[in-house]
Amino acid sequence: MEMVNMDDPLDFESEDQLLSSPVINQKSRKKVIGLDELLTDYFKEKSKVIERECKRAKAKKNYNSDEDDGGKEALLSRKINECRNQMREMSNDEEISTWGVQVFGDQKPPPPLVFPELGSCALLQSFMSNKLQTLIEPSIENGDNFLEGLLVNGWLSKLVSTCCHVEKLIAKWTFNLMLYSSKEELRTSACDFWWIILSPENKAEKLPIRIEWFPSYSDLQRALDTYGFLFTSSSHPKLSNMDSGGRGPPKNIRDWIKFTTACCLVRSKQPIFSASEAEELVKFLICLSLDRQLQGLQVLLNKCMQSAISYFTDKEWSTSCEKIARTLSCRIPMDLNCLRSVECISGVVTRSNNLRSAVSYQILLACFDHKVTDEVDILNMLISINVKDKNCDFFKMYIYLVLTENWLLSNPSLELEPVIYEMWGVFLRNCSCQINGTDLRSYASKVRTKASYLLHGTTKK
Amino acid sequence: MESSTNSRRCNRARGGFEENILAILDATDSKHTQDANDDRIAFIEAVRAASVDQDDGAPPTNKMYEAVFQIMRVGKSLELIMESYLLLNELDKRFPRVYLSNKDASGSSELVVVEEAWSPFVFNLDITYGEKESAVKSYCGTLDSSVFHLLIQDIAEVVNETDLQKMQIKSLGKMLLFQYLINVLEGDFVPRNKAYEETMNWMLLRESLLSMLLSSRRINYKVLVKDCLSIMCGLGQFNSELSDDLKPFYSSAANSSQNVNPAIAIALPEVRCSTCAAMQKLLTVIMELDMSRKKADAQGCTTRADGVRTPLLEIILDELTYDRVMLSQFLEIFNEPKWKLEIILQYFSKYIAKPSVRTRRFNGPIEDDGTLSGVLKGFSNITGTKNITKRISQDAVQILLAHAFQAYLSLPSSQQEAEGISDSKDKVRSNSLVEICENVVSAFSNLKRTDHSRCDAARWRFCLSEKKLCLQQQVFSQQSHRRSCLNDAGQYFLAQAFMLM
Repeated sequence: MEMVNMDDPLDFESEDQLLSSPVINQKSRKKVIGLDELLTDYFKEKSKVIERECKRAKAKKNYNSDEDDGGKEALLSRKINECRNQMREMSNDEEISTWGVQVFGDQKPPPPLVFPELGSCALLQSFMSNKLQTLIEPSIENGDNFLEGLLVNGWLSKLVSTCCHVEKLIAKWTFNLMLYSSKEELRTSACDFWWIILSPENKAEKLPIRIEWFPSYSDLQRALDTYGFLFTSSSHPKLSNMDSGGRGPPKNIRDWIKFTTACCLVRSKQPIFSASEAEELVKFLICLSLDRQLQGLQVLLNKCMQSAISYFTDKEWSTSCEKIARTLSCRIPMDLNCLRSVECISGVVTRSNNLRSAVSYQILLACFDHKVTDEVDILNMLISINVKDKNCDFFKMYIYLVLTENWLLSNPSLELEPVIYEMWGVFLRNCSCQINGTDLRSYASKVRTKASYLLHGTTKK
Repeated sequence: MESSTNSRRCNRARGGFEENILAILDATDSKHTQDANDDRIAFIEAVRAASVDQDDGAPPTNKMYEAVFQIMRVGKSLELIMESYLLLNELDKRFPRVYLSNKDASGSSELVVVEEAWSPFVFNLDITYGEKESAVKSYCGTLDSSVFHLLIQDIAEVVNETDLQKMQIKSLGKMLLFQYLINVLEGDFVPRNKAYEETMNWMLLRESLLSMLLSSRRINYKVLVKDCLSIMCGLGQFNSELSDDLKPFYSSAANSSQNVNPAIAIALPEVRCSTCAAMQKLLTVIMELDMSRKKADAQGCTTRADGVRTPLLEIILDELTYDRVMLSQFLEIFNEPKWKLEIILQYFSKYIAKPSVRTRRFNGPIEDDGTLSGVLKGFSNITGTKNITKRISQDAVQILLAHAFQAYLSLPSSQQEAEGISDSKDKVRSNSLVEICENVVSAFSNLKRTDHSRCDAARWRFCLSEKKLCLQQQVFSQQSHRRSCLNDAGQYFLAQAFMLM
């Protein structure tokens, strides 16, 4: 560790100028809180030493008192920061991080929700000629309110399923309410309405509902754009870690997810998306799962993910799965977020396993900067890591371990290749047996526990 | 589920994983640091990988189950609560405690009860703790009926909480816990009830978790039901505080209020909605249980050990009768068509039908009460309509009729013919939809002609002031817009339906 010699005035003055503004790095301060107690103690000791040193320096300087207090503070904070930095280096980026990406930026103004022509829709008009007009006369004058009432109270869906027909105006109006209205009541009712009209009709005697207008992929994408979703434009660079808490999606995101689920379920009735559009949707969903603000919608996101990956035909799936994995691996940050993006692919059906495996594999390739080209290469790389080395980055090891687990164990086709399994076993043994038990870094023990658990499973076979 | 080669993680150990997996939790103790939470997540992932993700995975051991359940109950982060909630539901789907096997060649199924399976409920009737003691005790493991009631009471408070800032992750956790418990109750009850219908073996239902829960002496059943109803109605309200009615679209959940956790603000509508669905499920299975109980009573299969319990439907009717605000709220939110229709029909028969009609039912000519068309006949002329509106306010009648009609239309057409629940139904009397529509239309026309609305409104106000519930009055005025929409909508729809027939 290199310490600054306090007794050297020249050295000190040059340092002082460098740090004329007393900036305390808030970020690093926050992170220190998460450190092991051991390290905290260590740090406390260190800063005491520095404080003492500072005082001594101050005392020495007292006789040429041309120095201002700000400078001293700056010095102190600089020293502390330096010390912290050194400690962090020593502990090999030990700070406990969490997953979480800011996927929503600034929102755009929503499209207008007022449909002036709504009053002229056939549904309302058909009434004016009805012999029972007198019964309903007073309310029909303001068409919007009246239709809203029908929608909220669930009559609209009854009505369209009786006449088996949804006209374009009604479809567009409800679609916009669902995705852009700020009134929970309206957007929820509109979403229910779409679920009902899209739900596959299993009653044989009923005619299917004819829907004049279907939203397309671009309509869904536009909604996400309006919400401020950062992932829709293909040119957007890598997602960055969450820092500011101010921005977030509007609550309509819930209805967006629900509606997308419904759309994906009705392919046999109405193929709304092309294969490449559905690929985009799957990627969007994985990205949405990375936003901590959407954690409460996990149930919905899982359902949507499952319906989205079952949207593809078998023929499309094998290529689409690869494509999804490859694009994702270029965008997901290589930290805990990449684990999250693998784990959010829920479900036990073959397709979710395929996707989980493919995404893990592609991320692993990206982790090694694509210097490796095939499966054996990756495992060779992993085995060659020396876990006894003091500088071994166990955080990275942990990520490799979980990714490899998902890649290999979700992939049935690899099960037939004994070489790969043997290498996997070697890697696990390295991790579980060779890591020094006295290594107190938290990820060292996480890697060890995980590997022993996995190893136990592999050998028991 | 695909079988074939897809044996994800089949390399995993089948036995002896408990120790290894629980080792992940070892270091965490009761800390709620990020590190400890990460370990809990890792534990959940490991349980999932070992049990759910494998085709031939074994169910987790009781210790593991309990650990996951515990994480959900005491979890302080949304992530932990969500993940454990998801896992528990996946496990229940994968390893049901009770199910019907279909191995019989004759097509009849057999009820299989996995006795040793873990359950979040423990109803030990032998031991009697003090109320407090038992609550404390069971808060650390599985739960019994009194803890279940405590949970309901907590949720009743949460539901009526209008201040978003006071909404804690804990409140969301409670609602999710409730949903999980209802899933467990339903998963246990539905196959048992099916088997009961085939075998008429009342023991199957007596031993159901639901029956044991409700017959427990540690809870006040009526209070429990009232709490459930108030939760149900509370959840149906789109509270202006909670929904961002007045705020522009672009005020996202995050910055609408500084102290509100954006994750909670976004999750809340969904969790409320699913809690409401769970509550409806609970009410429905209780009513199903009541119906089977009635059959068993008639056959003399029940004993004193079964206890006496007022059927839920009667309690609901009582509650709705004395609280008109609740009447409209409840009918708006409760949308299970079969039981909704039954509730409304019972409501009518309770206040319209003369007692003599009921006794004649068994030997006299077939009466129409208890079916929608029977009720509608009462409105077929002005005199009849007037008679009814003397007993039930015109306002309430309109709400009831509109909802009854909506429920009727939501029934699958096979059930429409045999509408209603009561087993004494004469199925020959199938009323075509057209007939129903015509009758509804004439009922509404008659209602309109016997326009009591003015004096009714006066009576309304009197009622409310009598109850001196200013609060209720406020709610009522909020409701009035929606209500008028409903009635208009009802009328509007009738006309449309009529025209199309």
